[in-house]
Amino acid sequence: MELGWGPDEEAFRAELAAFLDANAPPEALGHDFAQDEGDGGIPQWARDWQARLFDSGWLVPGYPPELGGRDATPAQSLIYMEELAMRGLPRALHFPGYAIVAPSLLEFGSDEQQALVPAALRGDTVWCIGMSEPGAGSDLASLSTRAVLDGDTFIVNGQKVWTSYAMWAQMCFCYVRTDPNAAKHKGISVLIIDMDTDGIDIRPLRHLSGNAEFAEVFFEDVEVPVTNVVGDVNDGWRITMGSLAHERGGLWVQGVSGLEHALGDLVKLAKATGRDTDPVVRRKLAEAYVTVHSLRALGYKGFSSFAQGSSAPEHSYLKLATSEQGKALYELGVEIAGGPAIVTDNDWAPGSGRWMRSFFTSFASTIAGGSSEIQRNIIAERILGLPRG
Amino acid sequence: MDFALNDEQQLLRDTARALVTREWSTALVRAHMGDPSVADELTKRLTDWGALAEGPLVDLCLFLEECGAGLVAGPFVPTVGLYAPLLATLGDAEGFTAVTTGGATGTVAIADRTGAWVPNDGATKFFVPEADRVDHVAVIGPGPSVTVTGPVSPRFIATVDTSRRLFEVDAPPSTASTAPAVRLDPDLLADVQARWYVAAAAELIGTARSMFEMALAYAKQREQFGRPIGSFQAIQHKLANMALANESAWSAVYYAAMAIDAADPDRHRAAHVAKAAAGTAAKLAAKDGIQIHGGIGYTWEHDLHLFIRRFESSEHLLGTTEWHEDRLADLIL
Ligand SMILES: Cc1cc2nc3c(=O)[nH]c(=O)nc-3n(C[C@H](O)[C@H](O)[C@H](O)COP(=O)(O)OP(=O)(O)OC[C@H]3O[C@@H](n4cnc5c(N)ncnc54)[C@H](O)[C@@H]3O)c2cc1C
Repeated sequence: MELGWGPDEEAFRAELAAFLDANAPPEALGHDFAQDEGDGGIPQWARDWQARLFDSGWLVPGYPPELGGRDATPAQSLIYMEELAMRGLPRALHFPGYAIVAPSLLEFGSDEQQALVPAALRGDTVWCIGMSEPGAGSDLASLSTRAVLDGDTFIVNGQKVWTSYAMWAQMCFCYVRTDPNAAKHKGISVLIIDMDTDGIDIRPLRHLSGNAEFAEVFFEDVEVPVTNVVGDVNDGWRITMGSLAHERGGLWVQGVSGLEHALGDLVKLAKATGRDTDPVVRRKLAEAYVTVHSLRALGYKGFSSFAQGSSAPEHSYLKLATSEQGKALYELGVEIAGGPAIVTDNDWAPGSGRWMRSFFTSFASTIAGGSSEIQRNIIAERILGLPRG
Repeated sequence: MDFALNDEQQLLRDTARALVTREWSTALVRAHMGDPSVADELTKRLTDWGALAEGPLVDLCLFLEECGAGLVAGPFVPTVGLYAPLLATLGDAEGFTAVTTGGATGTVAIADRTGAWVPNDGATKFFVPEADRVDHVAVIGPGPSVTVTGPVSPRFIATVDTSRRLFEVDAPPSTASTAPAVRLDPDLLADVQARWYVAAAAELIGTARSMFEMALAYAKQREQFGRPIGSFQAIQHKLANMALANESAWSAVYYAAMAIDAADPDRHRAAHVAKAAAGTAAKLAAKDGIQIHGGIGYTWEHDLHLFIRRFESSEHLLGTTEWHEDRLADLIL
């Protein structure tokens, strides 16, 4: 047990810091991850920044140079997360391509499919993930979008929903049912679907926040070449949400750092509104501080087991805890802001309505990517070994 | 950034766990209520481990965690957790060596009647752990100043806890010529206090872990409606929340211990976080632990209440969760 990093890691940090200081676009610094990106599409600066990171070997440091990295160690990858999070810097504003599709194709894709990886990482191709359907959310394996083989073409019919970035995406990483007679988990395949194919209808859906960032996607007799199956037919369940394996030990960093930034802003808000002398507010801020700083320590504990090659159950705890704590923090911001919390975009309102906006947006974090209830089920059954309910 | 135990640390933890399980039990905790001398054998076995007071706080915490998990009674915990670090800071090499190699025991008298563990001019100090069976008592008075005395005649305070005995101790008169009060730099005392908080938190997470493990085991074994109660989601989610709280508190405690070992500028905040996180986790484990046990958990016969009693005493010694949160608020606002 030891605090701090070794000289190799610190040298890596210094090199990265120099790059970021010289290159990070001003629009990206201090990015508020708790806000929606808006419905104007992916801004040019974000596209340029992602490409820049890729070209300089700073997009996924754990990858080799041809994949936008520099063969970094797990500890260096964690430091990368820390440095970005400290500056509030996003790598990209659309994560499916680099974080999910690229690693999944590298692990399961054919040679032809692997050729799609660099563009997915660099952001030249925007991807969306078609998993959820009106009838299949938490119970993803009950999905019913059908793909029927006709010669060497699949014919796809069905509907996806909550598909983030679908209206801006060129490609969809789509989960479909290829064998309706097999057991739920056994008849699923993953298809790469070109979003320009005839028969795809994308209808943007507004978030509760007011912006349209996800969509319903309808498929009507959409033709997909059989070579676009990722892995084997009916073996798609195995291709679960792959996140970057190298970075799995540090996925929590952005979440926890976001909480720390929000907590720092809450302290400023309390002072600006004079609520910093209110014992109730003081107690609640301290409670939040206890939770957030315990979570950072838990993150490092999880990273340590990850770096030693053990499975790190800490990450299920961290997904659950950071999302729930985010909601609690923004709720506290709304509470401290008081009456003017409901005002939007007015300078005289604390944070120009930021606290309520973030509070609303934080509702998504305990639903998307596996709801808090599902996380607790996973902890109970897979980590604590309780009998299945 | 390494939160993994090295081989020696794992061995230390396993040794502590084995020693506590071998020498102590809930049956002895029960016997201890009427006859504190049943802890003498355990205390003798623990004497060698006084040397832990010399090493990193992380190692001491690993040991104290097991003491908390097994409800260890007697002077060992206050000696290594409270008394020794104070002596080290006072620069009392002789007294310190007596603890680390000579088997001497000691405790600390500072708290007032409200349970605030800060220097005060009260003539009587309260909540002094194990004061009737230690060789030395360090009394902290205003200034701050410290007077180390030999055995005292303390007055027993009846508390809910059956495994830790607390006392009132009269502060020695300021004219006492035998043991002069030694002035202590307030910053140095603050560092000692941070150690106390983390040591207490380490014990607390051990107690919390035991309550959680009892509830988890019971949930897997007890059947109702033809299935284990641990298959009911209401029970599963309680246990998931308890596990999360325990894991977080564990991490906070060892982060704080490492921060103190490294004299990191974050150590004071980290120490408050550790005690508050441990208290919060233990309270959840106590309340939901009982709930998961149903009626049997509400009996005197079942051991769970022994742990709940110990949790409540650890929670209220060295500052409650709320007290630490208020100190943190002073530091961050
Ligand atoms: C902002 C946002 C972006 C998203 N982006 C994408 C995307 O890009 N691609 C994609 O495929 N999907 C996306 N999703 C969908 C997301 O994955 C689903 O919303 C999520 O899996 C939950 O499914 P659901 O909405 O159908 O809710 P349901 O599964 O119907 O859940 C409703 C409620 O029931 C609870 N519940 C369900 N099952 C259980 C159980 N077994 N035990 C206890 N409680 C249970 C849930 O926790 C929840 O509280 C996105 C969602 C959001 C909010």
